[in-house]
Amino acid sequence: MNNLIKKLVEAYGPSGFEDQIRALIWPEIEKYADDISVDALGNLIAHKKGDGSGLKAMVAAHMDEIGVMITHITEEGFCRFTNIGGVYPHTLLGGRVQFADGRVGIIHSDRITDRSKIYGLDKHFIDVGATGRDDCPVQVGDAAGFHREFVANGKMLSAKSMDDRIGCVVAIEAMKRLKQTPHDVYFVFSVQEEIGTRGAEAAANHLDPDVGIALDVTLTGDVPEAIPMAVSLGKGTAIKVKDAGMIAHHGLVQLMKKRASEASIPYQLEVLTGGSTDARSIQIANGGAAAGCISIPCRYVHSQSETVHADDVENSIKLLVELLAKPIEL
Amino acid sequence: MDIHKLLKTLTETPGPSGYEDQIAAVIEELWQPYVDTITRDRVGSLIATKRATKNGRTPPRRILLAAHMDEIALMVRDVEEHNGSGFLRVTPIGGVDTRQVFGQLVVVHGRKNLTGVIGCLPARMLPEEKQDKPFDFEDLLVDMGLPIETVNSQISIGDFISFRQPLLKLMNKRVAGKSLDNRASVAAVTVCLEQLQQRQHTWEVIAVATAQEETRLLGAYTTAFAVQPDAAIAIDVTFGKGPGANEHVTHELGGGPALDLGPNVHTGMFNALKATAEEMELNINIETHQRASGTDAHGLQIAHAGIPTAIVAIPLRYMHTMVESVALKDVERAGRLLAEFIVGLDEEFLGKLATGVMEEEKESKS
Repeated sequence: MNNLIKKLVEAYGPSGFEDQIRALIWPEIEKYADDISVDALGNLIAHKKGDGSGLKAMVAAHMDEIGVMITHITEEGFCRFTNIGGVYPHTLLGGRVQFADGRVGIIHSDRITDRSKIYGLDKHFIDVGATGRDDCPVQVGDAAGFHREFVANGKMLSAKSMDDRIGCVVAIEAMKRLKQTPHDVYFVFSVQEEIGTRGAEAAANHLDPDVGIALDVTLTGDVPEAIPMAVSLGKGTAIKVKDAGMIAHHGLVQLMKKRASEASIPYQLEVLTGGSTDARSIQIANGGAAAGCISIPCRYVHSQSETVHADDVENSIKLLVELLAKPIEL
Repeated sequence: MDIHKLLKTLTETPGPSGYEDQIAAVIEELWQPYVDTITRDRVGSLIATKRATKNGRTPPRRILLAAHMDEIALMVRDVEEHNGSGFLRVTPIGGVDTRQVFGQLVVVHGRKNLTGVIGCLPARMLPEEKQDKPFDFEDLLVDMGLPIETVNSQISIGDFISFRQPLLKLMNKRVAGKSLDNRASVAAVTVCLEQLQQRQHTWEVIAVATAQEETRLLGAYTTAFAVQPDAAIAIDVTFGKGPGANEHVTHELGGGPALDLGPNVHTGMFNALKATAEEMELNINIETHQRASGTDAHGLQIAHAGIPTAIVAIPLRYMHTMVESVALKDVERAGRLLAEFIVGLDEEFLGKLATGVMEEEKESKS
């Protein structure tokens, strides 16, 4: 599975620019879907047919990643930029970004006069090696994702954009393992989650599911001076109860707990005080859906070394398959 | 209808946003005698339909009344052990006012319901910078006096916690308690449905106790989409007058319901409600909102192709505390106003809304 993870996390795909990552996911799922389509926003939607006795379920994992967009090129050829999604200045200095054509740029900031301060994004620039505006190969409006190699420290897997390529991996693996399901399942590899769960919103409006399950990362409380949170890396998949954007459907949460217990899948209960997922959009779309989230615990979210645990990934896949293979009574 | 008794039942029943099962069951029982069908939807809203009783258009026009049934609450964030006892760390659901959480009684909805208190270190034992400030949720804990083993076996992270507070009878037919935001409005809708039993109406009435208003107006968006009514009214509470409250956004308790004006409200709907109140010689106040109204109207308004929406608000003091106060009279008046408005809805109503005739008529009258 590490090969698939490496392939997906290292790919380019900031919000709004998901063509390349979509082209990578498509062949991975082709064999396992009854029907595949791409909608107007760029969501990749794979339909796995049920036997007619179940519900309509939408499973969403977002393909997009946080990144930057070039806003201005200085006379000297340095690129000023703005954020795409939650990019924080203290994660940037000395980092690298990659553009759609594979070109890599270095991020640094204006001269630091006070080391105790964090400078805003507007004080940072990207150096692509240009000597001036005229030979700068990058244009205003070009988007870049981060550039960082996948690393496996035993079962600890680190890379940029684990958020949410690891969710995509969970969806892909679940599609492979889900031989039969009573439900009409739509696996949505969504776009533009990082800028407000926009892809999932359009997909949910269109699909009108009864049940919506997002696959996304969640924070952990297991690092020094962490936010107080009872989720740790390696202790199981996380069943979301609440985050800053929604309260998960109570019946669905209970069912997830039940299915996990029945199949002896280690799980943790997630009460996240900041952030939300595609499930937020699915919950409120049209007449509403029973929405929940299978979360993959992740350290250092929105940095260039987001870290997950292989066991949690595996357990998330197992729980999703258990859930979809059996009746969903809410 | 004994409104005090009604409010006692409604406010003392737990219904945290996202966990409205108990309050929904109580409201279902209350509304059952007055309506034709009653169901719950996927997000938990309770949807009751009262068919038209007077012949009109087929199918009849439909008006949706939305009063949210959920209340602000807490959720278990973590379980902590200290000297063999189990304590709960909590996170708020909705806009819980942290200045008044310390010292409250709560019910933890674990495997069974467990009573607890919200404690915190005494002020003098807190770091100096925290002594005179509202509490951080991180410093609060729920103590049920139970050993850690019992806590672990009965409670899990993510369990809901509701506040526990009996409804207090104050002087001048006022009451104080928890979750009068928005059970006062649920009571008003109940009054309306009861009043309609003796009246004829050509419009179908869809009474909805919406879910998860306090967190994201969830039920308003989803119900309005599913029902697609021709018009909608959100019934909610608004700020009551009292010492220190300003003059311009507050309303006297007992001074009648407030009709809201602002971007979430269709002025034709407002005018029609106001005209109804005037015909009834029923005292009303006018309130305004500048952006989002903070009520279900915000969600109702934009469902589908858009729905003409109004807000009827009940003045309430001490919002989002355990001593929210209302005047029983305002609840009853809001209910009567809704009923009278519904009785007056005819075939021409929507046409008048669209063309603004209603305002012209009013002008020519005056």
